[in-house]
This record gives sequence, structure tokens and C-alpha cells, in this order.
Amino acid sequence: MSTKEQSWLERNTFHHSVFWDLIKLVEEKERKGLKISLCIPTLNEEKTIGKEVLILRSELMERYPLVDEFAVIDSGSEDKTLEVAQNYGADVYLASDILPEVGNKRGKGENLWKAIHQLKGDIICYVDADISNIHPRFVYGLVAPLIHRDEVTYVKAFYDRPLNYSSGIRPSGGGRVTEILIRPLFSLFYPELSNVIQPLSGEYAARREVLEQIPFPIGYGVETSHLLDLYEKFGLETFAQTDLDRRVHRNQTTNALGKMSFGILQTFFNRLHAQGKLDRMPDLDTFYRRFEVEDGNYRQLIQEVVEEERPPMIDIEGYRNRQNPS
Amino acid sequence: MPIEQIETESLLSAILQGLPNTIEKIRDMRDSFLTDAVLLGEIPSPTYGEEERIRAVMDRFRENGLMNPMVDEFGNASAHLAGTEGQSSIVVMAHADSVFSPEVRHEIQVGSDTMTGPGIADNALGLAAMISIPRILSELNIKLRDNLILVANVKSLGRANLEGANGFLETMSLPAKAGICIEGSTLGRLSYSGLGTLRGEITLQVPADYDWKRFGAAGAISHLTGLINHIREIPIPKEPKTQLVFGGLKCGSSYNTSPRQGSLRFEITSEGDELIGQVENQLNEICEQFSAETGTHVQMEVVAKRMNCGIPFTHPLVKTTRSIMQQAGTTPKVDPSTGDLNALILGGLPAVTLGLTTVENLRETNETVHLDPLYGGMAQVITLIQAIDQGICEL
Repeated sequence: MSTKEQSWLERNTFHHSVFWDLIKLVEEKERKGLKISLCIPTLNEEKTIGKEVLILRSELMERYPLVDEFAVIDSGSEDKTLEVAQNYGADVYLASDILPEVGNKRGKGENLWKAIHQLKGDIICYVDADISNIHPRFVYGLVAPLIHRDEVTYVKAFYDRPLNYSSGIRPSGGGRVTEILIRPLFSLFYPELSNVIQPLSGEYAARREVLEQIPFPIGYGVETSHLLDLYEKFGLETFAQTDLDRRVHRNQTTNALGKMSFGILQTFFNRLHAQGKLDRMPDLDTFYRRFEVEDGNYRQLIQEVVEEERPPMIDIEGYRNRQNPS
Repeated sequence: MPIEQIETESLLSAILQGLPNTIEKIRDMRDSFLTDAVLLGEIPSPTYGEEERIRAVMDRFRENGLMNPMVDEFGNASAHLAGTEGQSSIVVMAHADSVFSPEVRHEIQVGSDTMTGPGIADNALGLAAMISIPRILSELNIKLRDNLILVANVKSLGRANLEGANGFLETMSLPAKAGICIEGSTLGRLSYSGLGTLRGEITLQVPADYDWKRFGAAGAISHLTGLINHIREIPIPKEPKTQLVFGGLKCGSSYNTSPRQGSLRFEITSEGDELIGQVENQLNEICEQFSAETGTHVQMEVVAKRMNCGIPFTHPLVKTTRSIMQQAGTTPKVDPSTGDLNALILGGLPAVTLGLTTVENLRETNETVHLDPLYGGMAQVITLIQAIDQGICEL
């Protein structure tokens, strides 16, 4: 890993606990005249949305006025998501009602994109609706680097990801698409971006001025595209990431992850194509990059994986001689 | 009618008139204490393992600007809201421990009208309500003359024998005039007496040199069944009211192997302390006899023992509480306590335990509290604090 990358990792990787003093954070936000909007995109999330709205509103709007605006943007839930969210005081919008002149597409990315138009904040924080251990750190941990550091424009979450099964919580197994698809792809094509520990995390906060400059895939590729597009425009320096400890969420089937990977690959290859990386393929990197956390330190492990190849057996003289001794 | 009584009734009447407004105010500011109930409830807090939940309570005490937030040598968290006169104090307690082990997934689900999860009623909600009292008083612009002492007491349940509450009251430095225990369950509960209680565990062990060829030889399960049959022969009188409950039985782990040891948990509650002593003696004798007759080792351990205690139904504190409940539209249900109330009353304080709301599946992992009745339940507590503060709950 280059000195520049190591330095970025040290300076721009945080643990949420360093931002525990919410009074100071609110003072700094007010001193800088920033407004913060929180958006939760939903589709049939009645089981978890009540708790998210209750806790985040109560702690971050009423007790500590860090968040100025709290919206749930829904894709057309058929359960009680909207009723429950409204009951606990969220502003609730149907994505189809926002910017109706551009039409309606159904997907999480649509809700995130339309939130930029609907919400007024200088900073927009997105939090997924399926977090069963929601805590205010999921928001203040992400907006704090943007409040404290003017050069930071986009903050990603990372965490331990135990999975929620009917029989209890299992300690590991989350982030399968990250480990199997994204990290190998980044290692090959965008080695610097492999410093982002959980590129697919659904929680992030960003400044309006960068969000309004990038396209939003409607489906699974939205998180990947954000990283690729912002990296291309502004480089690694404007990113930061925060450790939010543990995030408990629903387990997804392998089929669902396959569909997700397919969507992400489309987004990825579209970018490669647009950036000319498909037509003029560079020599591919042979270093595979992954992460390890030990005693609170984040360490990138780099392992050389060289996929050597043998020619078709028919090209080997010894083989041909054995097959055709005459 | 004596002048003092007229004054008391007129003071009470004025306080009761404010009750509907108190309910509405609490409904308006529900989010903060529902949030506390969820955040505290999601921290596992088994008896003897309450530290993390207590730390969260301390954070709230500090955030709410209370005086002297501290964790005492027993592990209880307490803090004071200073009264305008401070001549005396009112103690409000809520136990911080839960019956659920840390291995249980402590996840609270929040619906429009309910909250569901292990320990939400017993006693995350009670704890959150206790923490929220200063904010509610402030919103209602109520300034107490007395100090308010808020306590999240530990080591309350099971084997702990009210160790936390007893320890706090023994070392409490401020003079107190009354106490209130808050429990999430159940709205309408009115406890002003503590039942005499004895909790114990009987362990039975089949020794290594046990003669499996002897007549009647059996494994621990069969022996425990026989022992239970003997215990059930103890005569339990209707007067004084007495109850013997078998609360837990642990024995064996397979289909085809006779276990060599097992244990039985039980509780005797009675309005007669003497009778509890008699039953305890009989249990000891049964264990000794059974041990000798079967060649097993049977031992009884008493893990908790409490004397009967209480204040009269006609005590002004009880009378006032009943009036408040009636005004709030709640029918009081007299329910003798086996919990922290005993510590307060045996410590010399007139005290009551109140429940906050209606509950389903108590002490199951899908324990559910209803939110709509909760605001009335909270308002009862606030109104009772006002009444105690105004001196109308004293003899």
C-alpha cells in the first residue's frame, strides 16, 4: 500500500465513539451554518421503520438538534410502513410524487436521487430501513466528519455485520457480495478504492454539491456508482469512512445476492466503458486487497494472486506425441 | 370535618384536576421515554450483570442535568433532583435487571400502538419512565419542594434477594418520606404490602457409588419426581394465604441416559411469616428423609427470604393513590409485592408499587406493552409524586 493510501486510511477512517459529544457537534454545525437532512428510503419496512424514526428523531432532532429534516421516501409500500413512520413524526413522501415530470422508476436509487430535490439540507444522510439495532451513531457517526472537515464530501459506514436469523444472530457472514465481487473488482481496476472498507454499506452522508453532480442508478448499483463517479471526479481525498460497530440486518438469500451482483456488474462495466477502461484495458493488477481490524486499527492486507495459465494441451508436443505415437 | 382534612381534600382535588392535562403532556412528549425504553431494553441486563445498562442510565442522568449521579458499591445508579426546600425526599425506584440472559436476542420492535421484545415491560419501560420524570415535571412546570431521588436498582430478581435495593436504602444519606416503585406491568396494579417469601433450590445428586441394583434404584429424574410428590403432600392452608410454586426444574440432556443430577426451584409466599418457617422446616425434613431412603444426596439452599410487611389500606399514601387511579379511569387491583417494595417498607418508608400499562406475554421473549394506556400510567406516577410532595400522603 502506498504512503498516500496509508495516510488516507489513518486520517479519514474514524470510529463513531470519537464523535460522542453531540453538544459540541451541534455547536460546530450551527457555527458553520449547515443544515442536515436525514433520508430513509423504504419499501415494506413496517417491522423496523417505527424504531428507526422514533430513536433518530427523538435523539437527533429533539434531544440534540443535529438533524434539521427527517424524511421517509417510499417506493409504494403495501404494508403499514407509511402509517408507522408518520405516527412517529417522520415527513413521509412517495417517490412517485416527487418531480412527477421526470416519471417514476421503482428502486432504492430513485428514492435517494429524488431526496436531493425534496430535501433542503446542505448535507444529506441516507440510512437503510432494515437495521434492527438502530442507534443515533448511525447518523452522527456519518455526518460528523462532514461537519468537522470541510474537504470531506462523502462518508461511508462500515461495521461488523452479524446476520439476523429466526434462531438468533450469527456472528459473521455479512458482506458476501463485497468480499466475493466488489473487493476483487476494485483490487483489479481501482486499487485505491479498495481502502473503502465496506463499499456497499447502505449508510452514508454526503454534501449536496457532490450528490447533485452524479447520476444515480435506480437499483443495486447505486452505492458502487457513487464511489466510482466521485473517485473519478474528486479522488480518494474527499472520502471518509466511519466504523459504526455492529449492524444487525436481515439475511438475504443467495439468489437475491446473485441478482444484486448482476445489477452491480452492469453499473461497474458501464463505468469501465465510459472511462475507456474496457477499450484500452490496462495491465491488470495482481494484488488482492482486503481488510483486517485488530485492536481498533484498520489494516489493509495485500496478497498477490497471480492466475497463471497453461496453454491448451494440444499445443504441448509431449502430449501430441503420446496421443499420436506414429 | 377537621380543618386539616378539608385542606388535604382540597389540595388533592386541585392535583387531580390537573391529571387530564398531565396525560396529554406526557402523550406529547412520549418519544423521549419510548426511545429510552428501547435503547435500555436492547442492552442485556441479567441479574448480577446489569453494568452496561446502568452505564446507560448514568448517561441519561447526566444528560438530564440531575445532581449527584453516582453508582454505589452495590451497582445501583442514583441521582437527585433538588427540591425548592429539600427538607425531605421522595424515592422513586425501578429495577434495572431482567429475567433474560444475554444470549437472548434483545431486540425491541416498535409498532404504532405497541412495543415488543424481551424485558420491555419488566422492566425497561419502568426504568425509562423513572428516568423521564424530571423532564416531565419540567414540561409541566412543577417544582417540587422535596428532593426527588431516582434509583435504578440492580440485583432485584431471582436469587439476588433485593440486594441492590436493600443496599441503597441502608446507605442512603438523605432523609426520605415515601417511596414509589415503578414497574412496566401492569396498569392498575397497586401494591402496598410485601408478601413473606422464601425462595429455594433443591439439588439432587445420584452419587458415583450408587447401587443401581438396589430396590427402587432410579436416575435423577425419577427421584426428583418422587421428591416433588412428597413436597406436594405438605398441607398448604387457606389462612393465612399461602402458596407454593415450583418455578424451575433442570435435569437431563439426552433421550437415553439417566441423568445423575438435577435441581428444583421453588417459592413459598405467605401472609404468615411463621408458616413460611414451618414449611421451610418440613422441606428440610423431606430432603433429609428422601436422601436417606434413596441413597441420593439431596440438599436445599435458601436463596432469598423476606418477611411480610406493608402499610394499611387506609394509609393516606394508599388512599391518595387509589383516588388518583380512579381519576385516571383505572380500577386499582391490589397485588401484594415480592419485589423492591419490601425493601422500602422494611426500610421504614411508606411506599407503593405502580404498574404503567397493559402487557401481553409477560416474561416471554415476545413481551408486548400497549402504548395508549401508558400515558395514563405515567401520569399516575407524576400525580402521586405531586401529592406526596404536598404532604397529603402522610399519617
